[in-house]
This record gives sequence, structure tokens and C-alpha cells, in this order.
Amino acid sequence: MQIIKNENVKEELYLEKLENGLNIMIIPKKGIKKKYVMFATNYGSVDNKFIIPGEDKVTEVPDGIAHYLEHKLFEQPNGTNSLDTLTALGVNANAYTTTNYTTFLFESTDNFYPALTELMDYVQHPYFTDENVEKEKGIIGQEIQMYDDYPEWVVYMNAIKNMYEKNPVNIDIAGTIESIAKIDKEVLYKCYNTFYNPSNMAMCFVGDFNPEDLIIEIKQRLVEKTKQGEIKRITEQEKDEIVKKKTEVAMEVSMPIFVIGIKDKVESKDIVKKHVAIEILLNMLIGKSSELYKELYDSELLIAEPYTEYEFTKTYAHIAITGQSKNPDKVFEKIMNKIEKIKQNGIDLEQFNRVKNMLYGSYIKEFNSVSDIARMFITDYFKDINSFDYIKEYETITPEYTFKILQEVFDYKKAVISVVKGKNE
Amino acid sequence: MNYKTKTIKEGVKLHLINTNKFKTNLMGVFITIPIQKDTVTLNTTIPAVLKRGTNNLKTQEEIAKKLEEMYGAVLDCGIEKSGDNQIIKFYIEALNNKFIPKNSNKNVNQETIDLLLDVIFNPLNEDGKFKKEYVDAEKKNIKLLINSKIDNKDAYAYNRCVEEMYKNKPYGLYKYGYVEDLDNINEKNLYEFYLKLIDTAKIDIIISGDLDENEIIKNVLQNKNIEKLNDRNNTNIINNEETEIKEHIEKIKTVSETMDITQGKLVIGLDIDYNKPNSRFAMCLYNVILGESATSKLFQNVREKASLAYTARSNYVRQKNNIYIRCGIEIKNYDAALKIIKEQLEDMKKGIFSEEDLKNAKKYMVSGLESVQEEQDSEITYYIGQELSGKLINFEEYIENINKVTKEDIKQIAENIKINTIYFLTNE
Repeated sequence: MQIIKNENVKEELYLEKLENGLNIMIIPKKGIKKKYVMFATNYGSVDNKFIIPGEDKVTEVPDGIAHYLEHKLFEQPNGTNSLDTLTALGVNANAYTTTNYTTFLFESTDNFYPALTELMDYVQHPYFTDENVEKEKGIIGQEIQMYDDYPEWVVYMNAIKNMYEKNPVNIDIAGTIESIAKIDKEVLYKCYNTFYNPSNMAMCFVGDFNPEDLIIEIKQRLVEKTKQGEIKRITEQEKDEIVKKKTEVAMEVSMPIFVIGIKDKVESKDIVKKHVAIEILLNMLIGKSSELYKELYDSELLIAEPYTEYEFTKTYAHIAITGQSKNPDKVFEKIMNKIEKIKQNGIDLEQFNRVKNMLYGSYIKEFNSVSDIARMFITDYFKDINSFDYIKEYETITPEYTFKILQEVFDYKKAVISVVKGKNE
Repeated sequence: MNYKTKTIKEGVKLHLINTNKFKTNLMGVFITIPIQKDTVTLNTTIPAVLKRGTNNLKTQEEIAKKLEEMYGAVLDCGIEKSGDNQIIKFYIEALNNKFIPKNSNKNVNQETIDLLLDVIFNPLNEDGKFKKEYVDAEKKNIKLLINSKIDNKDAYAYNRCVEEMYKNKPYGLYKYGYVEDLDNINEKNLYEFYLKLIDTAKIDIIISGDLDENEIIKNVLQNKNIEKLNDRNNTNIINNEETEIKEHIEKIKTVSETMDITQGKLVIGLDIDYNKPNSRFAMCLYNVILGESATSKLFQNVREKASLAYTARSNYVRQKNNIYIRCGIEIKNYDAALKIIKEQLEDMKKGIFSEEDLKNAKKYMVSGLESVQEEQDSEITYYIGQELSGKLINFEEYIENINKVTKEDIKQIAENIKINTIYFLTNE
């Protein structure tokens, strides 16, 4: 077992890769009552076209299937639902699907091992029938409709569609009522057998564990499966250019909301360093202490600082700036002008150091909760990142490097805006 | 026990939670007063103006810079309605000194306390007035905040149901107040209101973290802003959890409202006409069995069996003896959903739930209570809730009380539950 220590945050990561290819991460937390586990597969909504190991033809599946599979795995042959079984054990269980992974999880203060038995059992034993597959269409249909009424979701998806033409990040994670109508048990089994192989999966445990003992417990609960070959994921080449500069739709909102996106190229090396630099830049640009935020607040164009994020996986990368304004176009223009100004004037060192300190704190704070830690390590793992790397890179980052990233990434030609405005405007 | 309190002045209390589970210290200040139509909007305006500047840090950029220098401390404020009281709350979260980089000599623990107290008790003022520019700007922001209640349809439907149930009563007031009140607020009367508020309201200061208690108590007591506070009447809040009597209702009130939406939002407000000391524990469990957990009757029957909803749940409001059932449904399924929900209420009355269901509900509650101690903000919220309810029940006692509840206790609650209002947000 490999042990990685981080002195700043005073935590340790135990890493073990089993023979069947399953990767296990353990972050022990002495004296904490809560235990948190995630069992995840590198399979998300973008994986709708692939070559099954051992075959040579391409398989194409309906949109929303990874999420559908997530819902259906809880179903058991004896008619019970594992979510109920876990709830009855007094643990808090859940699951979710992102663009690039699906994870099953629970949080417990008691009954950890009985719950682990149930979790590992249901994730490793699918049970789909025509009837139980059909029943889920109503529930997921309601979930899709619920998202249709969330202005935040609509504005975000429109920004994504403005940036991406071919990458399936541009489809809703849950699919559409039409696409899920095509899902049946055969296609669910096919996807399950392809993506729920241990060599495509990872587990993360956070809590008061003895790592050696835990590994033994995990092994006892594993179903024997042979390690499979590589799954070839077919991702069509996405162009560097954006699709559309602006989208605007009307919904029941009191003030327009917006997402400004800046499309970026996918990077395979130095991605953590780049990520840190972009976060520093976004905070310098429009963070709470920035000149621009003051200007926009005083001119009533913003009432709170926008939420900024650099989102990336192995197939896409972009910046998203989310906020609310009576005039989103003006905010867009001001942000873009400010970027040009920083490019001309260079980076303010005093501000750079202050923002860097702030990011240090926010990184350490992520280690406050067992669930945040597990989510962070799993998310980063599927991007080939060890979460501790952020703190290491933080120390090496320079204003010069940050300036270089500013010039490479913050490009008006790659920027889009999506707006949801009120019905009466 | 890791929880201690100390009365600083009559009506001003310091609470300390000593814990080494977190990388941060979290400090909260809660100012509590009865919620009233004529002051609700004034109260909402107060924190918005206070966060703009102090006599030491005069602008919000200066405050923001200070927070960044403190390794990303976060300052936040908000408004809460708790029973018939309104709470103005302030939070600051910052790294504990133990996690500040070695090459720094900052005492963030101390700076955190000083900064939050400065923001609340030493606001920028001149000639007995707040800064006009700040008040004018924040009035506009509050107008937007109040108008934004339509944005989240689920929360909107919930608030509307509460409003209909408590028409012309304090609890029916919207926690952020009303746009028409804003016109009468200016930098002078708001400052006068503020001074009176600080002088009379119940104030609770609560600090959680890995701390030297004596040092913290000293830091707070010797803070100039605390020294200047006066004693005040400690009972100036309303607590009618065990005294309020439900009015008899002839007919269920039905309200429906139209908006351009895809999914209908159904909210059903229930009255629990049962007031005995400690009956809240049985009510909690009733609610878990009815609609809080994934094994609940609502989740199982409305969502899993009938596929009518993605969300189907209920929440219990202890301070007002109410339960609210909330579902997101397809509009044409209104009657079907309502029928199934009513059947669940009837089943609860008839005691159609098993000992197993009760056992599971207890486990659910106990594990929730244990989790509270592992989240810094939840633990603070727990103790403030205890403080406002007038008696401290610690976690062990709470769990003990939960475990004592019998099936008969829950049946008795069920028999005294009535639908008060059915609210539906629809598109037709």
C-alpha cells in the first residue's frame, strides 16, 4: 500500500490497486464518528459511443443511460430496493451521475460494515426486468421536468451548448423524455457489463479506519470479475472555436441570470498548476476584493460576486462565470475589457499574493468534512489527479506563469454568454 | 461535555463548542427578536448595511481584502424565521491558527473574533446616521431579494402555503419583509432602529473550534464592542412551542396559483393539534415515517409505487407544530397524488406502520443527530435552536428521548393531525 502524506493539511492518503484493477483510496480520520464511502465508475453522460473490449464495432447508446443505470442498480431480485435497505440500517445513502463518472455512496455513524456489504452487493449485482425498467421512466421523466423549471440549469446548459458542438457534454445528464423512452434492459446490461468492471472503477473511504483491515473487508465483498481490456471511448474531435456567442431565453425569474463561458483546450500535463492559476486569475478579475466587482456593485450591475469555476475532464475544459444582473451583456463586456486591461498592465503582485493566500485557506477548508474529501478525491481521480497536488502546486505558482495562462486561456474569441431573463422583460 | 455557556451581560450569552474535528473556527452571532409586520423589513436591511463597512474598515473591499489576508476567511450574514421570531445572523469561518502556514505570524483566531464583532457592533456611521449611499444601495438590493422569491418554485410554493395558513399572523410574514416598507427606510431611522435593536434584542455569540477556552472568553470579554453593550431583558423572544392552541378549522383551505412552469408543486400544510411536554420527539418520528426518509410512506407510495413524482417528502416545523408535505408532480396527476397522500395520512392514523418502520425512523433520527456533531455549522444551529426553545437538551438526552417513543405515542399524534391548507402551483 502506498502512503502519501500532506503536512499542510495534516492528512494521509492510503492507495491500493487490487489485482482486478480496482483502485482504492483511504483517508483515515481519527476520532471522527462519521464514515463516508464512494463506489464509483469512470462512466458518465458523455460516454454514449464506445467500443466494448474484445469487439471491433462501435456501440452507440441512448442519451441519459448512465444516469438511468444509476437509478436502476438499486433494484434487487427479491423485490427490495437497496436504498431502503441502507436507510433501514440507519445510513444516509445516495448516488449521482456526472458527465464523466457515476458514484454510489453512503455516510454512516453506525452499521458501517453491514451497509458496505449492501453497497458492494447492489453495485456488483444488476437486476433489470422489462417491468422495473419501464417504471423508472415516470420518475426520471419528473426529474427531467424538474430541471426544466430550474433557471440555473437552463442557463448553464445553454452556455455549454454555445461552447460545444460535438462533445456530448452538451446533452443533459438525464437525457430527454424521448431518449430515455428508447432504453430497455438489454442496453442497460450492455452498458453495465462494459463500464462496471473493477478495472474501470474506484472506491474512496474517509473516516476512522485502519487501512489494512479495511482492504481485507473490501476484498471479502468483491465479486470475482476478470480485469478487462481498455474501453475505447469515441469522442469526436471538438473544434477550438465556439458554436454561438449568445443565447437568451425567457423564464419565470425576477432578475436575469447569466453564465459566461470561456472554452479552453484540453491539457494533459500540468493541469493542476493551470487550474490553480486560473482560479487565482478569476478571483483577481471579479472576486469580492477586485476593482471590477466594486465598480459593478456600485453601478448596480451586480448584487453579489459571481460564482467562478474552471470545469474540466479529459475531454473538455472551460471557465464558467455564473451570476445575476439586470444587464448581463454589460457585465460580459466589462469583464472582457478588464481581461484586456490586465493583459496590458500585468499582474498586481500585492493582489496576487493576497488571492493566493485566500485559495490556500479554501483548499484546507475542503478537508473539514468527510463527504467533501471523498467527493474531491473521486472527482480528481477520474482526471488522473491526486487531490493533494493542489497544495503542492500552490507553492510553486508564480505571477509569470499565471500571466502566461491569462494570455493563453482568457480569449474573447472563445467566450460565450447565456442569459435567462424574466418573462416580462 | 464540549459545550459551555457564559452570560456576558443580561441577555447576551457566549457559547463555546470545543472540538478538534475541523480545520476551521466558526463563529456565529445571532440577534433574535419577535417577528412583526412593522419591523420585519427593517431587520432585513440591517445586516445588508452592516456588511458594507465599519468605522475601521470603511468599505466592503477593505473588508474583503482583510478576509483574503486571513487566508480566505468567509463572512456571511442572513435572516431566518424561527417560529414567531426573526433572527439576524452573522457568521465568520476562518482557518484555525494550527493550519496557518508556518512562515506566517498571523493570529487568525483573534482576528476572526475582532472582525466579526467590529462588523456587527461598530458600523460605519456619521452624525447619528448610517452612510446614505450604503442604505440606498442596499434598499435596492433588498427589493431584488424580496422579488426573487419567485425564482425557486419549490421554495416559493412552500412560502405561499405558510403565508395562506398564517394569514395576518406573525408566522405568515415573509422572512425578508415587503417591498412597500422600503420607501420609509432611510439612513437616519435605520440607524436609530439599529441602536435600539442592539440595546434590547437577545444576542447569542457562539464559537466552535479547537480553542483555548480561557483565551477565547478573555478575547471576547475584553473586546471594546462587547464592553459597551448593556444588560437587556432576556425574555424578549417568543416561545410558544408547547403553549399554542390550533384553531378549529371547518373546511380545508385550497389555494391554487398559476405560473409558467413545467412541473406542478403541491404543498400540503398540516396542523398538529397536540401540545404536551416532550411530544416533539414523537412528532419528529411521525414525520420521518410519513415523509422524511427514503423508506417513508410518501417516498415509497407517491414516487416509487405510483411513479408520480421525483420528490415527495415532508418536513416538521417544531416551533409551530406543523408538518408540510411537498411534491413535484406532473400537473395532470394532481388528483391522483392528493388521493395517495391522504391515504398515507389515514394509514398513519390507523397505525398502519410496523415496529420495523419505527425502529428505522429512530435509527434515521439518531444517525442524523450524530452527524450534526460532525458538521460545524449544524452543531451551532443545534445549540442555537436549544437556546431559543428555552431549555438545553444535549445530544445524549435527545437520543434517549427519541428511543423512548412508542408506536402508541405516534398513533396519538396521528389522530390529532389535520390538513389545514392545500396549495398548488400550476400552469393552467
